[in-house]
Amino acid sequence: MDKLFLVDRKREVVKTYKDFFRDLEKTEKLENIIYESSPYLIFLKLVRSIIDGLKIEMLDYDFSNEEIKRLGISEEMLSNSTKVSDIKIENFNELIYLINKSTKNWKIALYTSGTTGRPKKVYHTFESLTRNVKTGEKFKDNVWAFSYNPTHIAGIQVFFQALLNMNTIVYIFDVNRKEIPELLSNYKVTNISATPTFYRTILPEIKEKIDSVKRVTFGGEKFDPTLENDLKNVFPNAKIVNIYASTEAGTLLTSSGEYFEIPEDKREYFKISEDGELLIHKLLLGESTEINIENGWYHTGDIVEIIEGNKIRFVGRKTEMINVGGYKVNPNEVEEEIKKVNGVLDAYVYAKSNRLTGNIIVADVVIDKEQYSEKEIEKEIYEKLKNNLQSWKIPRILNFVDNLSLTRTGKKVRK
Amino acid sequence: MSKEKVVLEAINKILEKKGKNPLSELDTNISLRNDLEFDSLDLAELTVRIENETGIDIFEKGIIDKISEVLERLGENG
Repeated sequence: MDKLFLVDRKREVVKTYKDFFRDLEKTEKLENIIYESSPYLIFLKLVRSIIDGLKIEMLDYDFSNEEIKRLGISEEMLSNSTKVSDIKIENFNELIYLINKSTKNWKIALYTSGTTGRPKKVYHTFESLTRNVKTGEKFKDNVWAFSYNPTHIAGIQVFFQALLNMNTIVYIFDVNRKEIPELLSNYKVTNISATPTFYRTILPEIKEKIDSVKRVTFGGEKFDPTLENDLKNVFPNAKIVNIYASTEAGTLLTSSGEYFEIPEDKREYFKISEDGELLIHKLLLGESTEINIENGWYHTGDIVEIIEGNKIRFVGRKTEMINVGGYKVNPNEVEEEIKKVNGVLDAYVYAKSNRLTGNIIVADVVIDKEQYSEKEIEKEIYEKLKNNLQSWKIPRILNFVDNLSLTRTGKKVRK
Repeated sequence: MSKEKVVLEAINKILEKKGKNPLSELDTNISLRNDLEFDSLDLAELTVRIENETGIDIFEKGIIDKISEVLERLGENG
């Protein structure tokens, strides 16, 4: 039987590697910006762009028109395309040959939540995205449960790990949760990588132990020992791995628990500042004019504690960015949007912690009570934000208050 | 406010924003995920709303799904 490439139950897509090769051959032109909702088309276009050594950009499908406009992308840019070369792919080795031939010129731009109100663009090369990919005999029979947004760096890294070993990908990111246990068992999934929030959402659905899973990876949020135990229960044969990664750099560190060890050969690229912030040397990063680098070092905004020698633990964030289920939210961006609503005088956006998603977004809002009612403004705010922001950035709780607490310098207090 | 009322109000607030009909009463057999189709952000909002009113974190001892379990957690502490 032909080896499966992708199973996407939600969209009823099942493709073998042979189908994938045929579709790569059939592609005649390629948009310069990938803006697709179907994971198969995203993967297809991604690989086709590598084969032709094209520079492309990747957008989240749920970006609103408003968000795209703010990135400086016009409708015309979205429809611009390039004709691609004729290719023939008979087997997997030929695909790898075509990929390796063109990686030098290929570049991809990804967007990450910026600190100035709009996502910043980071360029990655094939090398920077596949730095942690392992290939070989040991990996060839792996089956991946794919549980990230395919346009985000974590998803792209999982994709390459799977593709370069000719593994099957079972897409579970947006499938009905009730179908997940069956998908994991039927396709004998061996590897899962997801955010802690994703695992917490699916765990209640998994009623029986799943033996096929060998490796469970999580990252993107604060380490949670309870979750680690719950995962060991349902995946008894799995090694549980915690990772530290960022859009700027991709996967940086891995560990089997709360403590990360900086590997011997990478020690010169990591440094901890006097105030405990983890700094990463620019050689480990993607390229961007929008990443702030000081004297060769990138300030991650993550505060770490040294346990001993090269062992560290993450204790918190230095910046204002709020982590909601592994997604970063810039409170300034949300405040700006709320303040655009008629009748809103001021807004203050902050995090409220919980055990499910780490944080949710809360907004305190001051309104012109003489002319507007709380009810109509609440409706207006939600309508506006739904159109203009990705869903996890929208405050889940709105408090109407008479005034915001200000510091003496006139800045709002970020708790 | 009774714990049933706190839970009902929190759930209805979330349903209203999702454009769904509010519950008229609490059926303890209801599953938050399967019957009300709450996603992780809805569940996170629910815990925060309940904690704001009662001071109790319903997910402190693990993630739960049935309304009866929510009331149990509130009862244990209340």
